[in-house]
Amino acid sequence: MITDLTKSWARYRQRPFTRLVRLFLARIFHGDGEAEAEGLDVSLGLALTLLALPGGFVSILLFNKYGSLLQWMQGAVKVDPIAIALPDEYFFIVLSIVVTGAVAVWRWESIFPDRRDYFNLVALPISTLTVFFANMVALLCLVGLLALDVNAASCILFPMVVGATQTRFGFFAEFAGVHALVVVLASVFTFFAVLFVLGLWMTILPQSVFKRISPYLRAFVQVCLAVLLFTSFAVPSILQRSRSSRDWIRFLPSIWFLCLCQSLRDRADPTMAALSHIALPGLGSVLVLAICVYAVGYRRYFVRIAEMTDAVPVKGRSRLGQLGKLVDRSILRTPFQRGCAHFVWKTLFRSEPHRLLLAGIGGLGVVLASQALLAAFESASPYGTISADALSIPFILAFCIIVGLRIVFEIPIELRSNWIFQLMVDAGKHECEPMARKVILLCVLPWVFLIVIPVYSYVGSRALGNWTIGILHGLMVATWSVLLTSALLLRFRKLPFTCSLPLFRQHSIVTVLGCLMGFFLFAGVTPQFESWALSDPVRMAVIVPVAALVWYVLYRIRSNTLEIDKTLVFEEAPTRAVQVLQLGD
Amino acid sequence: MLEGLHLTKRYASLAAVQDVTFSLRPGQVLGCLGPNGSGKSTTVKMLTGLLEPTRGGVLFDGHNIRGDLASYRKHLGYVPEEPNLYPYLTGWEYLELIGTLRGMAKHSLEKKIDSLLELFSLHVHRHATIASYSKGMRQRILLIAALMDNPQIFIFDEPLSGLDVTSALIFKNLVQGLGQEGKLVFYCSHVLEVVEKVCSDVLILRQGKVIAQDSVENIRKILGKSLEHSFLHLVDDVDTMRVARDIVAVMSAA
Repeated sequence: MITDLTKSWARYRQRPFTRLVRLFLARIFHGDGEAEAEGLDVSLGLALTLLALPGGFVSILLFNKYGSLLQWMQGAVKVDPIAIALPDEYFFIVLSIVVTGAVAVWRWESIFPDRRDYFNLVALPISTLTVFFANMVALLCLVGLLALDVNAASCILFPMVVGATQTRFGFFAEFAGVHALVVVLASVFTFFAVLFVLGLWMTILPQSVFKRISPYLRAFVQVCLAVLLFTSFAVPSILQRSRSSRDWIRFLPSIWFLCLCQSLRDRADPTMAALSHIALPGLGSVLVLAICVYAVGYRRYFVRIAEMTDAVPVKGRSRLGQLGKLVDRSILRTPFQRGCAHFVWKTLFRSEPHRLLLAGIGGLGVVLASQALLAAFESASPYGTISADALSIPFILAFCIIVGLRIVFEIPIELRSNWIFQLMVDAGKHECEPMARKVILLCVLPWVFLIVIPVYSYVGSRALGNWTIGILHGLMVATWSVLLTSALLLRFRKLPFTCSLPLFRQHSIVTVLGCLMGFFLFAGVTPQFESWALSDPVRMAVIVPVAALVWYVLYRIRSNTLEIDKTLVFEEAPTRAVQVLQLGD
Repeated sequence: MLEGLHLTKRYASLAAVQDVTFSLRPGQVLGCLGPNGSGKSTTVKMLTGLLEPTRGGVLFDGHNIRGDLASYRKHLGYVPEEPNLYPYLTGWEYLELIGTLRGMAKHSLEKKIDSLLELFSLHVHRHATIASYSKGMRQRILLIAALMDNPQIFIFDEPLSGLDVTSALIFKNLVQGLGQEGKLVFYCSHVLEVVEKVCSDVLILRQGKVIAQDSVENIRKILGKSLEHSFLHLVDDVDTMRVARDIVAVMSAA
């Protein structure tokens, strides 16, 4: 019996349609497998684990809030867990939407069959309709897998946390069932909404125009998702306030699903009940529209790939403006620095994995900075100056940009193409570190001087009648940014993006912990100190010997680095347990 | 003058190239022939400095190139076998990157890129990304990258792959022109008739060793008929007709 089933399954797996579905699923997860062969390619297991992590982490962090001891200590004897879970429920719905949306945007290029699929498949005796349905099935499988995976941890942990004080299993089961249904539906809605929005533009615009604006459209969708994440701090309280303030939030899909959740739990007021009625029809409409757009897009692109030429003549190019020329002349002085810095900019702006990773870290910075801004409105400095929360905003942003760029530099792109650098670059000149430092600082210092100083000067003069606060704060952020950049680039001896991925080493965990500690010092302790020091600007002089000491330590480490550790590398060699000396050669 | 002296490259116990010695004078176009796995690409990589020989060395004007690779590479134009380029850069940007890394002055660099793109029929596509280029277009970008700084040495590894008939004809004449200009040209290829037409001398490798090295004329004189015949005589002891017949037989079998 089991043998028969195994044989039938094996036969089924080998059917052309099933093979096609598997092929498309693999492509969606691994990209085109050619361009990113040595780049940022994560295995299916790792990808699923990473996607499930946020829900799990957030659930665990909530244990404190729902713990009976803490509630008792706060004087809450009778607590309604469903009522206090409303903001967290909303957060999980938003998290589900944001993570699914981010994945849909990230894998957009792989969702449709491409030129390579076309030329591999049309020569075979398979109709284009079969290819269409196979890709559609793969897409549906992906949506199902994604919706279950993204929410898996929160579907188990969150109800456990909320029901920690309840003795009835029925409470847990009911809560978990409703929560799981709502977050999974929210995930499915988001995936198809992204497919519809991007697919619609793809359908109505000419191919060349869509190709050009596609990255910007996707960036816009990402910004919308980040904004939605930000609403999780404010929307639940708005929802619990007066009705008049709810007008604008009824346009948020996350609210529809929250109201659906409350309705299913019989906790919805009439307005919530009305909003909950939008959720399911909305999901159905988006599903139908997305499939229609997908079908039209498929007909327009895949079926006609043979008629299209990839090499579309493009008019004009973005020439370097006067500013760019000035930067070239004054900052990037050697041909190596000019060539490599331009290469780095172009890779950052054009490579999808690099752009997305940087946007993710930058987005995290924006969310943290927004929280700091909100906190700044609510708290005042005990020293009578600008509060540490307000001062921390540029520190948070600078930290995320600097660390983000440093991480992104490690991710290779098109390693097969780095032969040109191996051939052209003088490995003995040690110019990588200065070049990378200039690139990073060019991403930080301009906005520190052009935005941070004027804004804080204005705030300082309005609030405290002292405009010099802006200058002192700007200089502080700039100095710390330079030192952080120098520290992160110690022993950096590769051209960004041209070296294989660093291997996981035991000190990688220490590096991550160091990063967290660095963030605490950079964006936590320093603004606290600054807030204290600004009450008497002479105190700021303390920072000079500290900065000088840090600079001196970095200088000593750099000058003590062995010559062999400075040589340019294009491959991260594993550390050998046994080294053969080859004395006989 | 470029010399390869007793070039040997070993990967563990496997010798990819063994004791290869040759010289390349100004104006000489040296063709390098050999079947797959004969050590052509390894030899090319040692000549470009991408690989360090296990034994022996490459001398340029009497100096070992490993002593000052950077200045040697200033004199080198290289077209690799595979057109591995950064697909998200445009053709223009890629050439600009190469020119900048070579230290060419910006003004003359832009003029040269424009002229060469025009001559290689790529000017219309100069601002399209390389990802959208065909193999032939990528190959032409590589050729321009090798030519634009007017180097002294040219190393071409299968430069004609993907080129259309017109571009291939232009290139063959170009190689001869480079020879007449006094450049040193090392030309690796599988296409025997092209080597026969454009090269003055031939180096034939088999299993990492030099099995023949002479002028095309002399090899033809000694072994008779065409270079193709001579090559088969030297390198392949396979009965090509019989293998073809066997393939057809396997195809037709039930």
